[in-house]
Amino acid sequence: MSPRLIFLLFAAGLATSAFAFDLGGLSKALGNADQLKKGLSTAQDAAKLVSGLGPEEERSLGDTVALEIIGRFGGLVRDEAAMRRLNLIGGALARYSARPDHPWRFGLLNSDTINAFSAPDGYVFITRGLYQITTDDDQLAGILGHEMAHITGRDALRIIETGEKGSVLMKQVAMRSGNTREAEAYLNQVGLNTEKIVKFLVDQGYSHPTEFAADHTGQDLAATTGYAPGGLRAALLRLQQIPAGPQKVFSTHPPLAERIKRLSAEPLSAPAARAGQSTGSSAGNPGLTTASAADAVEKPASSEVNDDDRAFAEAAEKKPAKKKR
Amino acid sequence: MNPTTPPARWWPAVLLALAATAPLPAALTAGGTAYTKRLETNLLAEPAALAATVGRLPAGRPVQIAEVRGAWLRVSDGSAAGWVFAGNLSETKPAEGKGLGAMGLSASATTATAAARPLSPAADDYAARRNLTQARDDLNWLLAQCRAFTPAAVDSFLKEQKKGEYQ
Repeated sequence: MSPRLIFLLFAAGLATSAFAFDLGGLSKALGNADQLKKGLSTAQDAAKLVSGLGPEEERSLGDTVALEIIGRFGGLVRDEAAMRRLNLIGGALARYSARPDHPWRFGLLNSDTINAFSAPDGYVFITRGLYQITTDDDQLAGILGHEMAHITGRDALRIIETGEKGSVLMKQVAMRSGNTREAEAYLNQVGLNTEKIVKFLVDQGYSHPTEFAADHTGQDLAATTGYAPGGLRAALLRLQQIPAGPQKVFSTHPPLAERIKRLSAEPLSAPAARAGQSTGSSAGNPGLTTASAADAVEKPASSEVNDDDRAFAEAAEKKPAKKKR
Repeated sequence: MNPTTPPARWWPAVLLALAATAPLPAALTAGGTAYTKRLETNLLAEPAALAATVGRLPAGRPVQIAEVRGAWLRVSDGSAAGWVFAGNLSETKPAEGKGLGAMGLSASATTATAAARPLSPAADDYAARRNLTQARDDLNWLLAQCRAFTPAAVDSFLKEQKKGEYQ
């Protein structure tokens, strides 16, 4: 990708953080391959191009990433009580999130690994290992809130839109048209890139600043919804007490101690927290027996993160303006 | 000039883009500005979830905050005024726009039907190519299960648990 286009993508990305663009216009821009081939002549054109993946693209990507996560973490636990609890607590949080009217979906992964993941288009997954360790709704709300913050913050989509390699995908989206052959080529390209995106999300995770921001946003969201502001911190403290073993605890997240330290130092800005109206609750974990933390053992996963992946992640999360051109 | 440096003619656009990202003044305090973020935000007669609705505002509407009472704000958009739970407002103008669903979804798309939608064709194809048929079945199960978690069900849960605006 040319440095010129990267620059334009960055400029447009900034612009789109504050403005919404007409989707019809965007679709038109995306379908105009000639425009891309000839190069983008103005920042306005670039803004239209990268004003955000459209609903269909986000939906397809979200489904695909969700498939990979489910496939890699033992499938879903088909437990209706747990599903109900997850989706009602998650739905309550969603009501006061930055995307209150979006359809959110919360799933329980059948894995002893202790982790949680999010995928575009409102997918949030928590592993059975982590679910069973949480002792009440406040802790669960804190964990779900953290993952939801990645979605409302568009953290994964930002990787695609601004990441250097992700921008290759963006370019493919831009060149997409109604032509069946091109659509097939697009699907293939999505497939290839999805692997990379999933590998990043599942094996490596976001940068520490992005994770700390999600902790803060998730904590605020939980407090606004009425869950104890300290729920996430309590969950992290509980995880910290897990005896050292082969299991990986939040392996895609920053060190627990650092997260705990930052959460305790951060002032609560949520209205309910300010008003002292947050409540605690202890609903337990319906539908599943609680396993001891020591039982949680991570399944061997393809967690090798090579230099190429690290460069991808760094490029994706770093502001393009800071890139050398 | 470095060959990779953007031409000077692009700088105005860049500056405009940067200006657009400048943080807004602190909101959610009396005298501040907030924005509605739901497709429809009810303005209530009293700072209580079960109070009478005196008006409705569409998504993205800026409102002035006249008074703060706990987690409730008395707001006005110039033509209508009433109380809103702070969690239903955003400190910054919603930026996701039509491209990302939240603000651009039609009301029908916010129903459980939307949550329970079938897997996208692209993902279906991906599952077949990657031998993820079991994961596809699981995901379809999840999407179908979500049919039960309607906005009304979430609202009942909030009431029952005394969460959100029902605190």
